[in-house]
Amino acid sequence: MANDVFKINGLSFAYGKHQVLKGLNLTIHEGVITTLIGANGCGKSTLFNLMTKNLRPDQGDIFLYGQNVSDCRIRDFAKQVAIVHQYNTAPADLTVEKLVSYGRTPYHTMGLSPDPEEDEKKVQWALNITNTVEIKDKPVTELSGGQKQRVWIAMALAQDTKVLFLDEPTTYLDVRYQLDILRLIKKLNREFGITVIMVLHDINQSLYYSDEIVAMKDGTMIAHGLPEEIITTELVKQVYDVDLQIQQVDGKPFVIPI
Amino acid sequence: MITTRKKVISFAVTAIGLVALFLIAVNTGSLKVTLPELLRGLFVEYNPDVATIYDLRFPRIFIAMLGGAAMAVSGVLLQAVMKNPLADPGIIGISSGASLAAVLITAFFPTLYFFTPLFAFLGGMLAFFLVYSLSYKGGLSPLRIILVGVAVNAMFTGLMSAFNSGTGSNFSGVASIVNANITMKTWGDFETLFIYSAIGLILSFFVTNQCNLLQLEDKTARSLGVNVTRSRILISVVAVLLAGISTAIIGPISFLGLIVPHIARLLVGSNHKLLVPYSILLGAFTFLLADTVGRTIAYPYEINATVIMSVIGGPFFILLLRRSRNSYGK
Repeated sequence: MANDVFKINGLSFAYGKHQVLKGLNLTIHEGVITTLIGANGCGKSTLFNLMTKNLRPDQGDIFLYGQNVSDCRIRDFAKQVAIVHQYNTAPADLTVEKLVSYGRTPYHTMGLSPDPEEDEKKVQWALNITNTVEIKDKPVTELSGGQKQRVWIAMALAQDTKVLFLDEPTTYLDVRYQLDILRLIKKLNREFGITVIMVLHDINQSLYYSDEIVAMKDGTMIAHGLPEEIITTELVKQVYDVDLQIQQVDGKPFVIPI
Repeated sequence: MITTRKKVISFAVTAIGLVALFLIAVNTGSLKVTLPELLRGLFVEYNPDVATIYDLRFPRIFIAMLGGAAMAVSGVLLQAVMKNPLADPGIIGISSGASLAAVLITAFFPTLYFFTPLFAFLGGMLAFFLVYSLSYKGGLSPLRIILVGVAVNAMFTGLMSAFNSGTGSNFSGVASIVNANITMKTWGDFETLFIYSAIGLILSFFVTNQCNLLQLEDKTARSLGVNVTRSRILISVVAVLLAGISTAIIGPISFLGLIVPHIARLLVGSNHKLLVPYSILLGAFTFLLADTVGRTIAYPYEINATVIMSVIGGPFFILLLRRSRNSYGK
């Protein structure tokens, strides 16, 4: 946990007159899984979009390894940060392998690759690690929801970045595939040291699979730390505005969501 | 899924079909020559029939092929930019914007004749800009693009007809653009078309990769380091250039940029690296076919190729409109 991946200072953002983020400060540590949690409209999606350069801050700065992301060219950013968005579409006849190979785009110039062997190596690695080798010749649109999500993750992995963002990667999936994806994410972090930053809706999955939790409310961060240290009945009440009991499962906090 | 074998066959069959159609087109009309006669007349010794065919039919045939190719590729690119399988340079007013500019230049600045395609390009850009900005409402809805495009198209077409009628149809150059008549085209017209469309078609090969990436969600393309807005502008400029050029020489052609890419997608798939070259072949074939049919169907009278395109294209468009549900390439 020596290095900081992201350092965010006094970040503010508004959609028109609606102030979404109000002077947010946050540090994301290297090599851990950090999950943003919060109620709908708390600003976590906005923060996600600001950190991934889909929005520009009104005020404040976001530093990625010491460099202000506003000064970072989008192509250079894509070599350091890969993003799996919540909603994705692909042309009907695009195969898995072809799509995953798009992950190499940031390294290409005018559509040409300076190192096709390296591309091939990374694509095969991404297919292997996400367990999508057997379906590599199938069209993406014909896959099940869980398979599709693994393919989109594979494309992000082919970008060969140290940082991976995921926006609600388990939404629209059955519980079995949700766990499948979350275990894959954990593996990517533990085996390859990829720093993971994600937004999750399910609070218990957040607590179980994350090393650090960032809890947000009304455009500011109200808690940041290890799940077992920060999750209390009070915090849950503050974040979601409901009274819920907390129990321990495998030494991790578990919120009873009823 | 379309197998590689099928794609190869599609390319081969269309290429052979184009050559065959070319030979038929050369021999359609009152003068007829056999293939050996034609080749002898062209390359070995003078033959008055072949010379007449060379001067009158060849430019027209080449113009039809090149114009068809340019319009088809323009359609492919516009559809990629707008993520809309119904985008067609003719339907959404780019062609009429371009032809209005071409008409004004032909009428008022005839000395600038060689630069007509450039002005047509500017007219097309104006129309494109109008359609794009007027239909943008927190996103581009395919249907809104078509509706705004139809209105823009009607306006430019109206202005052009008004100009043509208001001047008593006295400018023959103007009338031929307005009516998209390619009967009297010369080698000079072909040269102009060739120079500009060669540039446009070569440029289109450079943007195929970006067209492919734009088929993903904008956010996803951006996460791959693609500057989505810049790519869109670049591809649009190439598309409008291609439509503008062919409009400047031929006149507005509707539906070609819609039908050809659609069939092409069914035959070779959605990868633009294949879609663009195949649309060149099929676009050339389709428009030459329309022209050749127009020359023979009511012989000795001629029906304009663009009229043929509209008659076939209209029902086709309605069919596509009914089948598509905001889907792109599905």
